[in-house]
Formats: sequence, structure tokens, C-alpha cells
Amino acid sequence: MTAEAKNLLKLLCAAAAIVLSAAALNYTVDPLQLFRPARLFAAMYSADTRLQDAGLIRSQQFDTVFMGTSLAIHYRQSDIDKALGVRSLKLSITGATSKEQSFVLTAALQRHPKRVIWQMDDWIFANAPDVDAEGHFPADLYRLNVKGVASYLFSGAMARESLWILARSVPPLQPIVAKLTNGVMFKFPIADVDDINVLRPDFDVAGFYNAKASLSAFRRITDPARSWYLSEGYDYPAMVQAFERDAIGLIENNPDVTFEIYFPPYSILQFVAMRDASPATLKAVYDFTAYAFPRLTKFPNVRLHDFRGVQAITHELNNYGDVIHHSPAIDLKILSMLAERKYVVDPTAPLVSLDQLKAQVEAYRLER
Amino acid sequence: MLFNSWLFIVVFLPIVLIGYFMLGRRSNLAPVVWLALASLAFYAHSNWQFVLLLLASIAFNYAIGYLLIERKLRPRWRFAVLTAGVAGDLLVLGVFKYGGFFAANLNALLATHFVVNILLPVGISFYTFTQIAFLVDAFRGNVARYALPHYALFVTYFPHLIAGPILHHRDMIPQFERAEAKRPDPHLMLCGVIIFAIGLFKKTCLADGIQPLVALAFGPYAPTFDQAWIGVLAYTFQLYFDFSGYSDMAIGISLMFGIFLPLNFNSPYKATSIIDFWRRWHMTLSQFLRDYLYISLGGNRRGPALRYVNLGITMLLGGLWHGAAWTFVVWGALHGAYLCINHAWSNYGPKVSPRFAPAADVAGLILTFLAVVIAWVFFRANDMANALYVLSKMADPSNIALGRAEIAYAAFVLAYAALAWFAPNTQEIMGYDHKNRTVGENPGAWRLRPLLIYASAAVLAFGILGIQRYSEFIYFRF
Repeated sequence: MTAEAKNLLKLLCAAAAIVLSAAALNYTVDPLQLFRPARLFAAMYSADTRLQDAGLIRSQQFDTVFMGTSLAIHYRQSDIDKALGVRSLKLSITGATSKEQSFVLTAALQRHPKRVIWQMDDWIFANAPDVDAEGHFPADLYRLNVKGVASYLFSGAMARESLWILARSVPPLQPIVAKLTNGVMFKFPIADVDDINVLRPDFDVAGFYNAKASLSAFRRITDPARSWYLSEGYDYPAMVQAFERDAIGLIENNPDVTFEIYFPPYSILQFVAMRDASPATLKAVYDFTAYAFPRLTKFPNVRLHDFRGVQAITHELNNYGDVIHHSPAIDLKILSMLAERKYVVDPTAPLVSLDQLKAQVEAYRLER
Repeated sequence: MLFNSWLFIVVFLPIVLIGYFMLGRRSNLAPVVWLALASLAFYAHSNWQFVLLLLASIAFNYAIGYLLIERKLRPRWRFAVLTAGVAGDLLVLGVFKYGGFFAANLNALLATHFVVNILLPVGISFYTFTQIAFLVDAFRGNVARYALPHYALFVTYFPHLIAGPILHHRDMIPQFERAEAKRPDPHLMLCGVIIFAIGLFKKTCLADGIQPLVALAFGPYAPTFDQAWIGVLAYTFQLYFDFSGYSDMAIGISLMFGIFLPLNFNSPYKATSIIDFWRRWHMTLSQFLRDYLYISLGGNRRGPALRYVNLGITMLLGGLWHGAAWTFVVWGALHGAYLCINHAWSNYGPKVSPRFAPAADVAGLILTFLAVVIAWVFFRANDMANALYVLSKMADPSNIALGRAEIAYAAFVLAYAALAWFAPNTQEIMGYDHKNRTVGENPGAWRLRPLLIYASAAVLAFGILGIQRYSEFIYFRF
């Protein structure tokens, strides 16, 4: 063998050794807790719930799963537990489509929880790619197949997190590493599972959620140059199809699980924006409700809450950061309404709340 | 198929290499056919619906080339055949790449409602240009007849097919014909692996690493002054490391087959003028535009005024080559204007005394870099409104965030700037000389051979560990 061939072999072997070492490190530390709950090393969590949920489902103990979008992202698990008397696992994902939610819920239901609390709205059923075609959704990690495990173990970014978690677990280094850990440099900066995507204590809640912010968002989305955004993805037949596949399919396949579904209290401005700038979209929303509510309430394992017409919340614009996202105070209010079984849709008259909403939207006049 | 994928690195490349060298023991032609078929498989893996178009394009251009080279046509007929060939190529490119753009502008002008939804075949801009160059050279009498397998391989050769470098038939086909290239050369293989490793690291660790910061300027939220600058600078470095990483990988892969590809980058952000920048950035495109567009338009042979007009037209069309959007036209026009100003300054401006030459170089480097960065805003923005919006934020220092995150991001961007400005580039590290067909003969680097081997191993390992599920090269969409 020539010297060049030996060098080539050395190079390839050294590279393989480094790659395998990184994989061994990732397997040992297991930042996502995919293979085992953290015992030897400090448990750390990521705010990227598309990734983190794959590990939470396997490592946490729970009897209730909490699912939703950004409208349900800031809840504390401890608040859910306290209000509803359960042991919950929050799996909410910002901007999650019904396909993603259904996929994650299916994975979580393999752990046999008794109950699913599901923040649902019409938007999640808009057209979306399959989870495997979705660039940012690590579907194979949930399946824990060869591809998923390999992508997790042979990841340099994960090895960096593993090293950092390893350093954090060494007692003399722990304080300084904890101080240097931040969400800018690291993917797993959260030390307590209860703190995942919870607003920081120093967050300026009043400065973020106020009438000025919600009215400004209203003006933005009703601007003729941007109002097309209101109708994006709102194709009624496709929404019904997605609803049947992702929601009804899941409910039918899990008759022993209680599905507590709630439609969140958007600010009235969201519907008024549709009324004024995109009436066809508002019609699609109403039509979808008219289809979905009777369908959902037929199932004995479903309890449906419609908070969209709770005027005390939806007409108070100081509750909102834009036209849909409400403050953490409303999160707590929702929990108490769920606990008290308020605004439950009556299976014998499933469209009463829709009629109330229609009347509110029709009557609302914005003071300019 | 992506170079930065497990499938390519662990399965495709080793199989093609083994097949190529095994067939090379028996014949000189079989490895060429094998490589051409492998290239088609590479293309078909993610673009199967456009394989027929690619094959049709090869057949069409080979037939036109045959008429120009073999048949003794009268000059007028030769010109007619060339015109038909180039027009055919441009028609296909126009339909697939510019059909939607043309319809949108027609709709805006005439209030019509034409809808054109055509998928862009990946690599069409590259393989169309290489073949137009072939036809023009055939017309000029600069081409001997090539065998079809060699010509087909020249067009489809997988290291360059998707995003260049733009190859020249006179450079490539003689290499495909050489019998020595079909015998494995451990030296070229080693150098090829190292160059590939550097390119992979540039792509998966550097370009993909800084990519999230680009959203600060071009994302959904209104950026502040510092966020806009961080985002735009992040894009500046992402684009460079992404595209030069791809080019390095192409050169490295090709070297494993014993084939030398032309250089595409030479530390462009070290340029001290815009003229210098275009000698260092996407060099094979610059050469193509110079040889087949600028010179065909008359170049500088028809007086200084027309020279500037020709420069402007060349850059404008160069911009449009990148994509069917007004943002690319503006990007090209900006660079055309920069080049005109640069040439005018060189011809009519004051001469710098040698004493101040280093300071002038530094000033030139900063000015060139800023001019390039401003132009990248148009290159990256989704539309003109978005570009002007980002530029307006970059010009508004009254609105600054400068929080902990922005400071960390700025430090990150500075580290990239240091790499781009002060680190040696791949060909300097490896002593790659495309013209003389030599590599790895840089005595300085090879004296440190053990260190280089293990450092390269680390770079390759980090490059592989950086592979993400979805990370296309930016230039794939051109």
C-alpha cells in the first residue's frame, strides 16, 4: 500500500472514529431522554416542542395530554394539574397543523393516558404537507425507527448539547455552566419541564397584551395589501377532509380516552377582520363549525367547549397581544372554565354557540 | 440527491467510484458511459420528471453541434443553424424559467389573467449555458467532434450538474478521454476527500449554522437597525459558504475520479474592488458572461461609452439568469453600475501613490464589501417591497435592540467575517492548480502532513455530523 493510500485510510478511520464517538456521547447523555429518563445527567429541555415532544412522550409520567398551538403554548403543567386534578403532559406546538397534532397525539396515546385536552380551531385544519414532508418535523424520532435514531445519534448539534449537559452534571462546573446556559447558544436551555415555553417572570405582560397591540394587529391584517393572509389555507372541503382524518379518526380509534376539546376565545377582532376584509373566509369558518360541532358531539368520549363567544373575554381587547393570542391570565381562566364545565356544547343543540357568535360578530362595531 | 446527505456519501459515491475504476481496467469508454448513467441516476433521484427534458436537450444540442462541426455548410446556413440551436435552448429556458415571470408582468401591464404554473427543472440554467457555449465554439470552428457518450457526460457530469461550476467542453472532454483518469490515484483520491470535507464543513456547519440569523432581517418580524444588519450580513456569509462549499465538494468529488474542475471562488470578500470581486465570485459564470455575452456584444472594442453599456447589459442579464424576478434584475443592474463606476474610476480617477496603497486597499475592501452586501438584500428579498423595507431598516439607527441575543449574534457574524477575510481558501490550503492539473504540492501544507490528515478527518467528521434532513443548496433554485 502506498503512503498516500495509507493516509487516505487514516483519514477515513479517524473521521469514522470521531463520528462514532459523537454518537456514543449522544446515546449516553441522551439530551431528549428518548432512550431513558435522565438520571445520571441533568435533565434539560428545549423550547422547540416539535423536537422535544418526542422525548417528553417517552420520559414523562402522565395521565392527561394537553395539545394545542401557540394559543396553548404558555400553560404551566402544574397549573393544569392543579385546576383539573390530573397529571398532565403539555405537548402544544406553535403553528401545529392537524396532521402534526394528530401524529404527536397518536404517539402519546401509546402510553395510555385517560384524557386528552385539545385546543382546536378551524385554522389547524388548513392545507398542510404530510409530517414526513414537513422540513422541521422529526417524524422518525417519534417512530424511533432506524432513520430517526441515526439522525439523533449522528448529529453534531446534539453532540454539542450532550457535551454541555455533561458539563452541567459535573458538580464543580454546574453553577458556571448553568449561568452560561441560554436559549441563544443552546437548544436545551430549560432546567424544569414545567418551564417549557412558559413566559419568563420578567416578561412585560401588560406591555405585550393590550388593546393597542390587538388594534394594531387588526389594522395590519385588514390592510388590503395583507388581507389575503386571512383566507390562506381556508378551503372548506379540504378542512373537512383534514378534520375527519386527523380529529375524528383519532377519536374513533381511542374510545376509552376522553377528549376534552375547546375552541379558544379569539378576540372578536379576528372575526370582525374576516367580516370586513374576507367574508368568504368567515363563511368557511361558520360552515366548518356547523359541520364539526354536530360531528364531535355525537361521540360519547368527547366533551366540547366553545369559548369563542365568551364576551367578557373576547371583547376586552386588553387580553390580547394581537387578534387571537390571549394573555396567561386567560389561560388560567380557560382552565377554570374547563374544570367547571362551562360553555359546553349541548349535543342536542350543537349550533347554539355558533349562532351567538354570529350575532356578536354581526353586531360588533369598532370604535376608531 | 444532495452532496450533504448520508445517501450520497455512504451509498452513491462509493458505488459510483468502485464501478468507475473497475470498468476502467477493461475499457476507456465503459467508465464514461457508467459515469453518465450514474449522473442521470443522481439527477433522477430528486428530479425524475425532468430527466427526459435533460436528455432531449443533450440530443438537440449534439445534433446542432454535429451540423456545425461535421457538415460543410455555407456560412449563411451555419449561422442559421447556430441561431436555431441557441434560440431552441433559450426558448426552453425561457418557458421553464421565465414563463411565470413573463405572464405576471403581462397581467400587471394589460390587466389580463394568464396563469402559468411551471416547475423549474433543477440545473436547467447550468446545463443550458454549458451547451450554448459548446454551440458558439462549434460555430467559431473551435471544436473537434466529440463522441456522444463523452458529450453526454460533459453535460450531465453529476458533480457539476445541479449548480455548476459552469464547465467548458474544451476543458472537460479531453479529461474524460484520458485513460489515466480511469485508474485510481491515491494522491488525487486523498486530496479529493480533503477538499470534499472542507466543502461539506462549509455547507453543513458554517452555512447551515448561520442560516437561522438570516430571519432576523428577512423573517416575519419587523427588524431593528442592528437586527437588519445582522440578518443581512448573516445572509452574506451564508451564501458564500453555501455556494463555495458546494463548489469545493464538486471539485473534491471530481478529483476522486481524476478529473479537475475549474475553480469557482477565490475568497471573494477579500476583493479590493468590484472588478476584483467578479474575478473571485462565481468565476465560471463571470468567464461565461465575459466570453459569450460581453464580447459578443462588442466588449470594449467599440469605444468607452458602448463598453459601459455592454457591461450594464451583461450584468443585467447575469442578474436575470439567477432568477425570474425584478429583485434579480435590480441586483444585476446594481452590479453593472458598480462595475461601470469602478472602471471609470480606474480610467479617470486619481492614481494612488504607492505609499498609500495599503490604506487604499483596505478602504477598497470595505467599500466593495458594503456595496456587495447592499446588493445581496435584493438578491435575497422575496420582492422589491421587502428589499426596500429591509434597506430602510438598515438605514434607521434610531431603532436599536442590542440585547443579549443581538450581541451574541453579532459576535457570531464577526467570527464568520474573520474566516472569510483572514483564513486561507481551499485551493490555497490544498495547492489546487486547475490549469496545470496539480494538487497537494504545496510544500508548506504538506510538511505538516500528519496534522493535515487528522485535521481533515475532524473537518470531515464535523461536516458529516452537521448533515440535516432538509438543507438544499441556495444555488439549486437558479
